[in-house]
Amino acid sequence: MSEPDEAPVIITINGQAVEARKGAMLVDAAKAVGVEIPVFCYEPRLGKPIGACRMCLVEVEGMRGLQTACSTPVARDMVVNTTSDQVKDAQNGVLELLLANHPLDCPVCDKGGECPLQDRTFQFGPGETRILEPKNHFPKPLDLSPLVALDRERCIACFRCVRFSEDVAEDGQLTFHERGDSTEIATFSGEPYEGRFTGNTIDLCPVGALTSNPYRFVSRPWDIKNAPSICAGCSVGCNLEITERDGEIKRVTGRPDPNMAVEEGWICDRGRWAFPALTAGDRLVMPEIVDQVGRRHVRIERAVGDAGAILRRSGIRVAFLLGTPVTVEDGFLALELSHLLDDAPVARLGVSDDGLGPLRALPGAQMHDMDGADVIVMVGGDPSSQQPVTELRLRKARRNGARVAMVGPRPTALDGNTAEALRTVPGRLGDAMDVVAERLLGSSRAIVLWDECDLAAEPVAADALARLVASTPGARAIELAADVSGPGLRALGIPATGVLEQIEAGEVDVLITVKADPTTGPGGTRWAAALNQVPTVIALSTHRSPIVDLAAIAIPVLYGLEEAGTLVSMAGRAQRLRPGAIGPEGAAAAWEVLVGLSHRMGQPLPDRTAAQAFDRMAKRFPAFSGLTCTDLGLLGAPIAAGTGGPAAPARRAEGEGLALVVSTPVFGDATAHRSDALDCVREETHLGLCPAEADRLGVSGSTHVRVTTPFASVLLPLVEDHRLHEAGAYLVLGDPASMAATLLPADRGPVCAVISAPVAQEVGA
Amino acid sequence: MGRLDALKGFGVTFRTLLTKPVTIGYPEHKTPVYPRFRGRHRLWLHDDGLEKCVGCSLCAAACPADCIRVVAEENTPEHRVSAGERYARIYEINMARCIFCGYCEIACPFDAITLEHSYELSEYTREALIYTKDVLLEPAPKQPPLHPNVPGGPIPPGEA
Repeated sequence: MSEPDEAPVIITINGQAVEARKGAMLVDAAKAVGVEIPVFCYEPRLGKPIGACRMCLVEVEGMRGLQTACSTPVARDMVVNTTSDQVKDAQNGVLELLLANHPLDCPVCDKGGECPLQDRTFQFGPGETRILEPKNHFPKPLDLSPLVALDRERCIACFRCVRFSEDVAEDGQLTFHERGDSTEIATFSGEPYEGRFTGNTIDLCPVGALTSNPYRFVSRPWDIKNAPSICAGCSVGCNLEITERDGEIKRVTGRPDPNMAVEEGWICDRGRWAFPALTAGDRLVMPEIVDQVGRRHVRIERAVGDAGAILRRSGIRVAFLLGTPVTVEDGFLALELSHLLDDAPVARLGVSDDGLGPLRALPGAQMHDMDGADVIVMVGGDPSSQQPVTELRLRKARRNGARVAMVGPRPTALDGNTAEALRTVPGRLGDAMDVVAERLLGSSRAIVLWDECDLAAEPVAADALARLVASTPGARAIELAADVSGPGLRALGIPATGVLEQIEAGEVDVLITVKADPTTGPGGTRWAAALNQVPTVIALSTHRSPIVDLAAIAIPVLYGLEEAGTLVSMAGRAQRLRPGAIGPEGAAAAWEVLVGLSHRMGQPLPDRTAAQAFDRMAKRFPAFSGLTCTDLGLLGAPIAAGTGGPAAPARRAEGEGLALVVSTPVFGDATAHRSDALDCVREETHLGLCPAEADRLGVSGSTHVRVTTPFASVLLPLVEDHRLHEAGAYLVLGDPASMAATLLPADRGPVCAVISAPVAQEVGA
Repeated sequence: MGRLDALKGFGVTFRTLLTKPVTIGYPEHKTPVYPRFRGRHRLWLHDDGLEKCVGCSLCAAACPADCIRVVAEENTPEHRVSAGERYARIYEINMARCIFCGYCEIACPFDAITLEHSYELSEYTREALIYTKDVLLEPAPKQPPLHPNVPGGPIPPGEA
């Protein structure tokens, strides 16, 4: 990286004096003054330029022949001409050759209309070709994976996808076969190109060679509307662009103008292809109420009216439970409603804040700060599976020269090639603090990523880590938050505890849940029993779930991609969701329903839009002070850091047996399970054991095991993996219907599990 | 204005009285059209029965009245509709909005859509004015005659 204080150089482009940063490439220097040099392969996010497409040829005085502007750095007194006859001739020639084997099937091609090759050909191309020879033909399309289709005829061999695979995702799966005009993209052994980030190659492809299978022939660029929004899949908060046609979301892509502070334009396949879940069969599309007639569908006005009538009754004790993905506005309006209802308790489903205060008081960092870090230590967690895009940031940091270490009980995708893997004994993160200290020693720009779940389970380790980071000069921390709503709701002071205990004490008459289904999550059994004691449940839900069946009034609400609102990322960045589609006709945004309830209660809240609610909230809560909805703009803004809280005493794991190490991969969550596009990459619920331990427990070789904790007993598929520590049972949570999450206590605290062989008839089926 | 002028005017009147009337007894007799008259649309098939339209939506992009809606789908070996990879599963033209500018015809890269001569397009309901693909694939039921000024086809007015 060049130093910012280096003197700029003056060059001349087309007779115009231009000031450019030393080391900048000619393409960028020209772009800064509005001179377009056409490119195909140049993409700074992919690393060093390779000059593969030859589209950017320019004339530089004093240099023989034409130069590739993408790989020629500026130099003092350089005189560049991008419009001379020689350059025009070269551009014509390059495009003529690029199109020599291109099928020109633009009317059929999904890229048609948003294709850089089309645009460059119109702007810089020759208009006609002298090549009469027959073109290369391949059978098409070839499925690189069930999600990515390859059309080899259209490929111009720009290497962008291969560079992404090799240099960004570092999976090394894609390569080029053959040479010359027979060059074609392939995987090494013909295996499908599957991974967590494969879809980015589609965004990168400057022609229609790599296209999205789920979007195949769905729409053309002029039939659609795009909205810039935020992914509500995990707490990274990647910026997305949503494509809508005929009222439905048809495609999700990375933003054409990426948010360099968050995801740099790379999004994971879960974020890209989870949208079919919004039109899945179990989507709640009409409100339901239970009355004398039984359960029946009503219009949303009627359902909200009925709910308001219930809340208007005097002496009623109400509680709110918020799940995910709940926006900050939803949380704020739940608090506002609670004030109208004698300060009814509001809680979120998530990890308790106890003991995490010291870590949250540490100076925070944004995702892009990792680029300049010298040391990155991850403590606990598995970002590749729980906050996927963090993985790309970590790999980039490593390429930039940072030493990356992964301290935790789980094997991760980063082990070895990117991160030094320092495996800890499950449930004993605290023992590894001296290792962390060793890594942080002597660093000046260290970043520590700590996992919310893992450190909440070990408050002593959390406190020790906080002290360690605080005593390291220049060190900053990023929380690997467990869920997408947590950071935002926490900023409003909404706790993760309280409501369950109050229900059990019989102190709740009406429970209002917002996108929360506690019965399938941690403490599910206890929740299910408690919910039976609640006379009235009003459920605001996107999809059908056990709590919807239980609710007296079920109101369908919009999902993150369909609503307006604000989410706070794990790095504390508030970013705006913008509606990509209108959602089901019988549904409304959760904030709208909450405001509607206040109207029906006769004490109307003043908010008419989510933006108004945000602005009103920002004035009230110090975390958002000084921010307005307009300030957030397209790229969001960091919110004020929390003040932290006290350390907590050590927690003892409940139950006996092996310590349960829990992962909640985003590729396995409920939304991923509802999206049929993700069939090929979905993670299923299973229990991982070290083969030696499985042998010792007498379950080696069996397909399933019975896992028993004090909270539940569940039959789960067994996966034996020698990378796992023998002192732990590794629970990977997939589909909520597996009920595996109910093995955990309601506060997601540490727990041990007894693993036993299943009874014969259990696995017989 | 002199007396001569009045006579001139009456001259026109009497001359016109003696010419044959241009009135056409519509609807028994159709108004003739020129070859490039732009009337009802038609979608065309290849000789082998496959549709020429590949559902590229360029007509919809060109349409200034926004009256064309195309939803494409992929051809499969079992269900091959068009000659290309994709075909138009839905092809609709809202004739109530169409301004018969012919841009769709110009935009079409496969000459799949043309504007024919038929102009009798009234319907009793708005729904019936939304022409679907099966309607558009049929030749127009009522074709008007060509104008007599067209070489090769002089048809005296009122006799078609």
